[in-house]
Order: sequence, then C-alpha cells, then structure tokens
Amino acid sequence: MSLLELDHVSVRYQNAVRDAVADASLRLSSGDFLVLTGRSGCGKTTLLNVAAGFVSPSSGMARVDGQPIAAPGADRAVVFQSDALFPWASVRENVAFALRMKGVPRRERDRRADALLARVKLSGFGDKPVWELSGGMRQRVGLARALAAEPRFLLMDEPLGALDALTRERMQTLLLDIWAESGTGILMVTHGIEEALLLGTEVIVMTPNPDTGQQGRITRRIPVSFGRRYRAGEPVRAIRADPAFAAARAELADAIFEGELQ
Amino acid sequence: MSLFTQSISPETLSVATLARIESQGGIDPFASPSHPPRVSAPSFRLPARAISAITLLALIALWWLAAQYKIVSPVFLPGPEAVFRKFITVARDGFVDATLFQHLLISLGRVFAALAATLLIGVPVGLLIGLSTVGRGVFDPLLEFLRPLPPLAYLPLVVIWFGIGEPSKVLVIGLAMLAPIALSTAAGVRAVNEERIRAARALGASRLRTVLHVTIPSALPQIFTGLRIALGAGWSTLVAAELVAATRGLGFMIQSAAQFLVTDVVLVGIFTIALVAFALEWAIRTLDRRLVPWSGRD
Ligand SMILES: Nc1ncnc2c1ncn2[C@@H]1O[C@H](COP(=O)(O)OP(=O)(O)OP(=O)(O)O)[C@@H](O)[C@H]1O
Ligand SMILES: [Mg+2]
Repeated sequence: MSLLELDHVSVRYQNAVRDAVADASLRLSSGDFLVLTGRSGCGKTTLLNVAAGFVSPSSGMARVDGQPIAAPGADRAVVFQSDALFPWASVRENVAFALRMKGVPRRERDRRADALLARVKLSGFGDKPVWELSGGMRQRVGLARALAAEPRFLLMDEPLGALDALTRERMQTLLLDIWAESGTGILMVTHGIEEALLLGTEVIVMTPNPDTGQQGRITRRIPVSFGRRYRAGEPVRAIRADPAFAAARAELADAIFEGELQ
Repeated sequence: MSLFTQSISPETLSVATLARIESQGGIDPFASPSHPPRVSAPSFRLPARAISAITLLALIALWWLAAQYKIVSPVFLPGPEAVFRKFITVARDGFVDATLFQHLLISLGRVFAALAATLLIGVPVGLLIGLSTVGRGVFDPLLEFLRPLPPLAYLPLVVIWFGIGEPSKVLVIGLAMLAPIALSTAAGVRAVNEERIRAARALGASRLRTVLHVTIPSALPQIFTGLRIALGAGWSTLVAAELVAATRGLGFMIQSAAQFLVTDVVLVGIFTIALVAFALEWAIRTLDRRLVPWSGRD
C-alpha cells in the first residue's frame, strides 16, 4: 500500500496576484480512483502537477508515503491530454522508455512493451512511427508508456478529452480494467460528468472563487461506487441506465456549477 | 501557422526564427509558391517552375545574342558555347595544374572539414544557449557579433593569427557557419514541447538523460535547417577563403583566371559553384526527410 497526500496545498504562480489553487487537500491510496473535476481554470491541472512534482506548492505539503515530493519520478507516471509521445521513436520505443531509463536490457524491454501494447489492444503496432496513429491509438500508447513504469500512482490529465464518444467509452472500460488489474492509485482530471461517476471511487469537485475566477478550492467530495459495480461484473450500459446514476449526475452537475446557476 | 508568418516581414527575422519557420515548411525556395485563389484569376496559368524555366532560357538566349553580335566584347563576355567548350576543356585538361574535378574536390574538402568542426562546436554551444541563462548570456552577444560580419573582413585577421596554411582557410569557412548552426540549435531547444520533457521526467529520466533523449531529438529538425543554412553560407565563403595562398580549389581557380582575364574559366567556376550549391541543398533536403520524417507532422 502506498499513499500520496496533498496537505493544505496552495500554489501561486510566479508574478500571479492570486493563488491558482488554495488550500487543497487530498489522499490517494493504492486501489483508489480519484476523479478531479470542475470548471475550466479552477486549478485541476495545477493540483495534478503538484502531485507529479512538476510544480511545487507555495504552502502546504505534498508527500508520498510520508516523504516530501521534490521532483517528478517514475513512481508517479503521468498521462497527458496532448499525449506528449516522442515522435522520433517508434510506438514500442515510446512504451519502453521507462524501462530503458531503468536499464532493462533491450530484449526484455521489447518483450514487456509488446505485452503492454497487447493490453491496450495495439498488438502489431510496435514498429509504427507514432505520427501514423489516430488520436485514440496515441492515447493508448501514452497509457501503455505510463504503465510500463509500473508506477505506484497514475496521474492523468483529461486523457480522454480529445476522443470521439465511442472511442472514449471503450477507453473508459479499458481504464477500469487496468485499474482493477494493477491496483494502482489513479488520479484523473476530467470534464466529463458521466465519466467521473463511472470511473471514480471518489469525485472531487473544485470551484474557483466566484469573485476572482481563480483561487480554486475543493468544494465537494462525492463517494461513488459505479466503477466498483462494473468491476463486480455489471455491464456499463446497465449502470448508466440506473436511476441512481441519473441522480448522481444531477448532484455532480449542481456541485460543479454551484454559484453560477443561482 | 500561415496566418502568423505571412504578416512578418522577412527583414525583421533573425536567423533563429527563420530557422524555425523554415523547419515548419514556411519558406521553401524549391517548392512552387502557393497562391491563394483569386476570384479574377485568368483561366490559363503557368506553373511557377515553367515560368522559371522560360526565364532561364530567355537569359541564355540574351547572353547568346550579346556574344554573337559582339554587343559585349568576348573578352568580357564569351558566349554560352565558348563557356561550355571551356567547361569540357577544364574538366579534361585542367586549369593551373589541376582539373576541374580536383579543384572541386579540394573545395568540397575544405567546406566539409569546416562543417564537421563547426557542428562539433556549434551544436553544444546552441544547446548551452537554449538550456541555460548563463550560456545564453555568454554566447548570444558573441554570435550576434559574428553573424553579420562579411568573411573578407575577418580574413586578414585570421591570416595574421593563423598564417596562410590550410587551417586558416577552414577557419574562415567555419566562422561563417558557426552562427547559423548554434542559433538554429538554440531555437530548436527553446521550442521543445514542455510536456514531453515532463513526460520523460515522470518516466524516470534524469535531467541529463532528458536532454539526451528528448531535447536533442526534438531539436533535430531545426539543427538540420541550421546545417543547411550553414552549408550555403560556408560554400559562398569559398572564394574569400581561397584568396590566400591557395594552389587549388574553385575559388582559387576563379581568381587566377580573372588575373589573366580568362573570362570563360571564371564563368565555368561560377557555374560550377552554383551547381554544386544546388546539389548540396537537394542532398540535405533528402537527408532531412529521411532522418527526421516526423518534422512538421505533430
Ligand atoms: N504556468 C502558469 N503560469 C501562470 N499561471 C498559470 C500557469 N498555469 C496555469 N495558470 C493559471 O492557474 C489557474 C489554474 O490553471 P489550471 O491549468 O490548473 O486550470 P484547469 O482547472 O486545469 O483548467 P482546464 O480545465 O481549462 O484545463 C488559471 O487561472 C491559469 O491561468
Ligand atoms: Mg487543465
């Protein structure tokens, strides 16, 4: 079991007048699937970047298993909305990057990369250059690349944001499957309300200060169990059709747009 | 991108921005210019290449006429056939103790020696400029000082310091190549996608390995552009570099021919230099497409 904690974290960017994120706390344990959502500009990416070690908090603490987070590391792999793949390398080399950094020998890392490619349903694409892939395929390569690091935590910033509805649905179930298998603690940012409910074990809502449009705070934490129901074998369609799902959707939408609808 | 680049006047561009724009396929002397569709365009239009070919033929015809009817004295302007015949003679029998090919080989040797040396220095300097404030503070003014200097201006100083041997010639050519390579590399480094750097760091790469595995490959398209500009700059410095105590080389051949008013050999030299420049440019573009096929695709 590992634990990633953000403890009363505030972030103020250089030259900014106000905090981008104000006093945010969260706990991510192995097996959790936290979903961070909220309006544009409320500080979701900033908070995820603190967890990743890309941005250091101006006040408060970020820790993994009690140790302060000082820099990015392979224990917290990141999946980016823009996929951030390396276009000069083949699909297989992209996936094997973390293994190469660890010093795993060529043959072994190719074998493991191919296994991960099969896991994200991209068998046979290993030798392709990444710029020949579609957006959905690239996102899956990005996911496989992060998983190759065997991270304790998987941090994802709107990983499915740029995908069409059908591809997105398939990716959601893939994510749930991978989460169930790996036991990794996942922190994911999304704008999709249904996506948040379907995937998360807890949905965390951030809201900016209504006067400034910044100073994003965590305003709601909603525990959810639809993802667990999927893991227990219930089909996604049936879960979506459940009236409880519709009720949760309305509640979450209210929480996100609180202050704006009044 | 076209919206942005079209509004920039070429005069205000530095080599570095030029390199970036070129690497995105913005300015391409080989491609036919694309015209925005005009409503009043005539239904019949010649492609730019055809217009270029016609222009070239017309110029040669004018040249031929001028020589044929002695409008200009043949001492100053021998006709196209005379120059072509001379081309064959110089290629076969040589001029001042060496055939055209031997002159060419020596010149190419000097330019490529300079290119190799400049790459070894210019790429690391470009990396330092792009990666560190100190590097930028140290090297930027030096390069900005060097960049606009004409080779003929520093040639005497190079001779005073390093003598009249082969190293001086290579150095003069190399100095002309340094700024394009270093500044293009720096532009490439600064244009690196920040998320790719972060991705590498979060996959366990140290800062140094991130530079090796992400920054340098990212900058390759711009480094290639710098290399292309540098090769052009170096090649055009050839005549100046071979002003001093050379016994072979295309530049030397042109100068000795000029001293004896052998105008046809001067023209042969000029055309050879132009043709080789064209061939080099083409070769680098081909190499570029082979080695950085992802350039401009993401
Ligand atoms: N590098 C930066 N420098 C300065 N300000 C920044 C920087 N990155 C983000 N900000 C500011 O911080 C605030 C939060 O930005 P952030 O990207 O975290 O929001 P977000 O919730 O991820 O938005 P979105 O949903 O649009 O991705 C915004 O006001 C933004 O302008
Ligand atoms: Mg964001």
